[in-house]
Amino acid sequence: MKIAVFMKQVPAYSEGNMDEKTGVIIRAGLPSIANVYDVVALETALRIKEITNAEITVFTMGPDKAEDVIREAYSMGADKGYLICDKAFAGSDVLATSYTLSQAVSSVDNFDIILCGKQTTDGDTAQVSGAVAEWLGIPHMNWVCEIINVTENEINVKCQLDGRLSVIQTAYPCILSVEKSIFTPRMPSLKLKMSSRKKEISKITLDDLNDKNENNYGLKGSATKVRKIFPPERTAKRDIVIKNGKDGADYILEIFKNTFNSKEENI
Amino acid sequence: MVYVSQKNELIFPISEKYEEYLIDESKFMGNAESISFPKNEDEIISILKIMKEKNIPITIQGGKTGIVGSAVPLEGHIMNLSYMNNVKEYEILEDGTGTITVESGINLIDLKKEILRIFKEKALFWPPEPTETSATVGGIIATDAKGINAFVYENIQKYIKELRVVRASGIIEVVSKEDFNKVIGKEGITGVISQITLKLIKKPSEIWGISFFFENEEDASNFIDAVRNDVPKSETAFIGAFEYIDKTSLNLIEGRKPTMAKIKELPDIDENFECMCYIEIHGEDEGIEEIAGNLMETAAMYNSDPDTAWAVSGETEIEKTRAFRHAAPETANLFIEEKRREDKRITKLGTDMSIPNISFLDMIKKYRDGLSKYGLNGCIFGHGLENHLHVNILPNSYDEYLKGIELIREWAKYYLENNGQIVCEHGIGKLKKKIFEGMLSEEFINNYKILKKEFDVDMIWNRGNIL
Repeated sequence: MKIAVFMKQVPAYSEGNMDEKTGVIIRAGLPSIANVYDVVALETALRIKEITNAEITVFTMGPDKAEDVIREAYSMGADKGYLICDKAFAGSDVLATSYTLSQAVSSVDNFDIILCGKQTTDGDTAQVSGAVAEWLGIPHMNWVCEIINVTENEINVKCQLDGRLSVIQTAYPCILSVEKSIFTPRMPSLKLKMSSRKKEISKITLDDLNDKNENNYGLKGSATKVRKIFPPERTAKRDIVIKNGKDGADYILEIFKNTFNSKEENI
Repeated sequence: MVYVSQKNELIFPISEKYEEYLIDESKFMGNAESISFPKNEDEIISILKIMKEKNIPITIQGGKTGIVGSAVPLEGHIMNLSYMNNVKEYEILEDGTGTITVESGINLIDLKKEILRIFKEKALFWPPEPTETSATVGGIIATDAKGINAFVYENIQKYIKELRVVRASGIIEVVSKEDFNKVIGKEGITGVISQITLKLIKKPSEIWGISFFFENEEDASNFIDAVRNDVPKSETAFIGAFEYIDKTSLNLIEGRKPTMAKIKELPDIDENFECMCYIEIHGEDEGIEEIAGNLMETAAMYNSDPDTAWAVSGETEIEKTRAFRHAAPETANLFIEEKRREDKRITKLGTDMSIPNISFLDMIKKYRDGLSKYGLNGCIFGHGLENHLHVNILPNSYDEYLKGIELIREWAKYYLENNGQIVCEHGIGKLKKKIFEGMLSEEFINNYKILKKEFDVDMIWNRGNIL
C-alpha cells in the first residue's frame, strides 16, 4: 500500500503581515512549524502503516526551507519526501495549490490513500483536500475522526459532519482530511531524527509535471486575490456577572438549560 | 495601621479583590493592609515616602512566582511592580549583539516577545531563562534565579549591563558593576530594582531537545554520572541543559496534562518508564548530532532504548518540551495548593541544594532513603549535571508537613558537612528562613545584616526576608 501525506510549513504564529501588492502572507523572519493538522495526518498514516506496512511519502509545497517539514516527517517515520518548489508556484490560492498538488502527486506514483489535515493554520480555508479530490477524480472523505478499519483494499472511517457522524467505506484510491482529534501525534524519534539529515529529499519543479503551462500555477493560476489580511475587530460585548455560591450555580445552570433547550428545538 | 492615600489613588486598602497578592507560588499566605501598583520610579518614590513617614514596611512583588515566600507580605504594604513592564530603550551593537533596557516588572513572556519584535533578524536572547515564564526580570535578579541553562550560560551577572535601584532613602541609584552582588540574589532587602539594562547574546543557530526514558532510577542515575564524568563536546555544539524528572513527577504531570494547555498535545509517557532525562544541545546541526550520537550510545549502555528517545528542534517544539519540564514544579505546587486548602499551615516544601562531591546515584539514594525513613511521598526533578535536585515533599497532612521540615533539615545538615550548598537559586525568603533556623552560618547572616544596615537601616524593604 502507498500513502501520500500533504504537509505544509506555516508560521509558528501570525502577525497578520501581508504583501500589499500580491496579497500573499509575508513569512520572512517568522519561525516556521509544520501545520499541526498535517502532523496529525502524518500520524494517521503512521498508524495505518503499523497495520498494513504501507510506504509513506510526504509532499510539501513551498520554498527550500520547507524541507524542514519533510525532515520532521522523516524523524517521525515517513519513508520518502518530495519538495514541490518552483517560482511558478508562488502565491497560489486554493485552486492553484490543489491543482499543483494533484499534478505533483500524479507525477510520482499511484497512491492508494492521500491524507491531509483538516485545514492549515495560515490559510484556514479547509478546501484544498476537496479540490484535490476533484482534480484527481477520487472519493473524498472530510473531517475524518476515526479509522474504523483499514485493509489492503479498502478503508472504513467515521466522519464528523455537521451535527452527525457518518460511517463511510471506500476502495482505493481516496483522499482523507482528518480531524485534529483523531490521534495524538508521536514525538520525533532521536534515532530517526539523526538519520533524517542524510535522507534524500526529491524536488518537483514545473518541468516535472504533466501540465507545464505556468499560467495554471501560482498567482497566475489563482482564481482569487487577497485584498487585505487583518485581525478581526473585537466588537462583541459581554456582561460581567458576579455572583456568589448558590446564586452563581443557579445562574450557570440556567444558562445550561437555555442552551440545551435551544439545541433541542433545532433538532 | 492602614494608611491609604486620598490624593492620588496610588495606594489601595487590601480587600477581597486583592487577596491573590497575599500569596505566591510557595503557597505561604501572608497579611497586608494596603497595596500599590506603581507605574514608574516617581510613583515608587512617592509611595515609599508615605510608607516611611508611617514606618510601614513594604513588600516588593513581581510575578509572584517565587517559592520561598519572598514576595509574600507579613504586614504593612505590598508594592506590586507588574505595571512597570515597559521597554525603555534598546541598542544594536556592532558585534551583532544588543542591549535592552526594561522596567523590572516585565515578565519573561513579554521580554521574549519584545526582543523578537525589536531584534527580529538578529536572533538574540537573554540567557537566564527560568522555565517559569511568568517570572519578572526584577524577580529573577532579586532571587538570582538560574533556570535550566545555567549549566552553560552561568551567572546572571554576565547578562546585566546596568541596574537601577530605588533605595530606602528615596534615591535612585545606578548600581556600579562592583556592587551588583549587593542587589542580585538579595531578595529585595537592599532596595527595589526599578530598571535593568540587559545584555543580549546571539541565539544558538539550532537547539535540540532530547528525552531519554529509563525503566529504573539506578540506570538513569548511572547514565547521569557517566555524562558528568565525561561531558560530550564537539567543536560547534555543547550541552545547554540536563534535567532529571522522576516517576512521581511524571505521574503528577500526566495526571494534570489534559488541563495544561502547553503540554496537553504531547503523547502520554509509557507507564513502564520510571524516570526521564531531558537534555538540550545548542549549536550547529553537525556538532549537535555528534553529541546526540554520543549521548544515545551512553544512554543505551544504561538500558535506555534509543527507539523510545524523543528529539525535537525548533523554538516552538523546544518550548513544548520545556513546558513539560516546567510542569514538574507546577504540578507539585498544585498538589500543595490542594493540601493548603485543607490545612492553611501547609506550604511548599522543596529543596534547592547541590553537592558536587558525590555521585548522582548516591545523592538520589540519600533522598530516597530519607523519604522512606520518614514515610513521606516526594517528587524529584532538577539539574542533573550540577547535582542540584529539587525534592518536593508532598505531605498529606500537617503532621507529614512537619516531618518534611525535619527531613529537609537533616539533608541540609549533611550537605553543609559535605561542602554542599543548601540554597542555590530559590532564595531564602520567609519559608527557608524558618526551615533552616539555626543552620545558616553566622558569617552568612552577618553579611546580610551589614547590607541591611548600609541600605535600609529602618527595615522598610521586604521585612522578614532572610533576616
